[in-house]
Amino acid sequence: MWFQLLLNTLSLGSFYALVALGFSLIFGVTHTFNLAHGELIVLSGYMAYGLSKAWQAPFALTLPLCMAAMACLGQVLLALVRRIREPFELSSLVFTFGLALVIQNAMLFLFTADYRRIPASGKPLRLTADLIVTRNQLWLIGLSLAATALVYLMLRKTFLGMALRAVIQEREAARLAGIRVERMNRIAFAVGGALIGLAGPLFGQNAYLHPAGGMEATLIAVVITLFAGTGRIRGLLAGAWLLALLESAAALWLGSNWRELVSAGILIALLMWKPEGLLARKKPAPEL
Amino acid sequence: MKKEGLRRHLLWTLVVLLALGLWPLGGWHTLLVCRVLGFAFLFAMVTVAWNLVALSGLISLGHAAYFGLGAYAAALLDHYSGAQVPVTLAVAGLSAAAYGAVLAVAFQRLRAASYALATLASVEIPKVIADNWESFTFGSLGLVGTRPLPTISVAGFAVDLSHNIMGQYYFLMTFLAVACAIHALAIHSRWGWALRAVREDERAAAVLGVDVFATRFTATVLSAALTGVCGGLYAHLMGMTEPDLVFNLHISAMPLVFAILGGRFRWYGPAAGALVLYSVDQLVLHPWLPAGHAAVYGLVIMVILLFFPKGIGSWPAPRS
Repeated sequence: MWFQLLLNTLSLGSFYALVALGFSLIFGVTHTFNLAHGELIVLSGYMAYGLSKAWQAPFALTLPLCMAAMACLGQVLLALVRRIREPFELSSLVFTFGLALVIQNAMLFLFTADYRRIPASGKPLRLTADLIVTRNQLWLIGLSLAATALVYLMLRKTFLGMALRAVIQEREAARLAGIRVERMNRIAFAVGGALIGLAGPLFGQNAYLHPAGGMEATLIAVVITLFAGTGRIRGLLAGAWLLALLESAAALWLGSNWRELVSAGILIALLMWKPEGLLARKKPAPEL
Repeated sequence: MKKEGLRRHLLWTLVVLLALGLWPLGGWHTLLVCRVLGFAFLFAMVTVAWNLVALSGLISLGHAAYFGLGAYAAALLDHYSGAQVPVTLAVAGLSAAAYGAVLAVAFQRLRAASYALATLASVEIPKVIADNWESFTFGSLGLVGTRPLPTISVAGFAVDLSHNIMGQYYFLMTFLAVACAIHALAIHSRWGWALRAVREDERAAAVLGVDVFATRFTATVLSAALTGVCGGLYAHLMGMTEPDLVFNLHISAMPLVFAILGGRFRWYGPAAGALVLYSVDQLVLHPWLPAGHAAVYGLVIMVILLFFPKGIGSWPAPRS
């Protein structure tokens, strides 16, 4: 039984890492505080659900379609967000809060408030006598970890990744060094959007889709990003597994509904501990 | 303000007040309009309360916490003790104020985006508790059968607030008038100037002798208390209280939308925004688009942030 719990925690944690990865990348590079992150994931999930219902599209085919669509939507979002004025962090947060409401209501209109689920990919596999892994979980763990590893390799081993990390660390210095920050913004939104597009169908397969279900995913992404800092993939993965472990423990001892309290509580605790939020930086010279 | 401007200002206020006060007596309206406007007064009160905190420079995304706590306090007290409505409303305000005080102390170092995020998460705590403490709050089913507002006597007339929609209308209008008076004080009084100083530059305000924490603490607790009373009123008006209804994200979004639409730095701004947009939403959009009409709130936020020159700053403050 303990192995089963551990396996479930592993799959949940890997998914959380995927959810946080897109948020962290977009926030780190462009400083856009995307409160609509979870709503976009649910929207992508609904898209996959619609594709599988209307055209019987196989699950593997919905993934690239959703990723492409969300990457395009990311570009639209970037074009809108660029018009927002200072204070950028707060304004973008309020703006995407509005966007979250619009997406929620659009999904309510298109898909109604019923709970939906993308059908499972096949029979569960029995590894040992009392250890069962569903095909959904295999998809979830495999794709989440593969995406995380790919983003890690891109950030660490390629020239593009170096430029992105430079923008995350020090925007103006990166601009001075000749990095085209605007292009980096577009790439961050494209990659982040693709990650959202990947997370959506996986979410729809492992949990129920509901128009109002996005805010929880957003909170999870924010908690993990706040814990790990932006652009730190290994910290992100550790944080995601830790959060999944804490949630599983809360669900085990208190009951599954109290689980929701965990991420909200941790978010408040983290904010009280690091009040300057995600953009904690070195103080400028005059204040030192 | 110049004398002529003041006179015109007073004239407009009087016209709007008379229009809002007299038109239900004409008798040609439908009760639906009356009821919707009554609820618009209620949410205008929440907006005014929200703006008390916003005037001190903090954008809250969590006023649903105070609203829901007020609603649950009133409904639970009504269910378990059968207390009179003034008592349940007072307890609703007090319990929300207590939560507001806790948050004001806990979040005293948070600003801007961090504060907005923390308040957003602060809704989850009472919501999950209300959702899961089945033996006390009846879980996700919520409380039903909360008694409606009682019959009160005004100047010799008995007004049955439970069934007389017009009575409810004037009752809620009175509450809004009180809230607007507090709001006007928060802009024009000495305390209002302290709020403004804290908003513009905390350090300078502190140098001038303004107690930054105390100013913000008072604003937050007052705002929470007012919002809690609104929640209590809502419980009595609706007769039912569910976690998903009173701790809803839209309750947190509404005051933000209404306030930046109506303008945050005039005493009537938040109330005006609420009355206009809530009526349009409920009377025009709701019949036309039953599912998803609330998208208009999100759209208004997005349009204002994209196209208004001051963004969240909304309409600029009047020159005084």
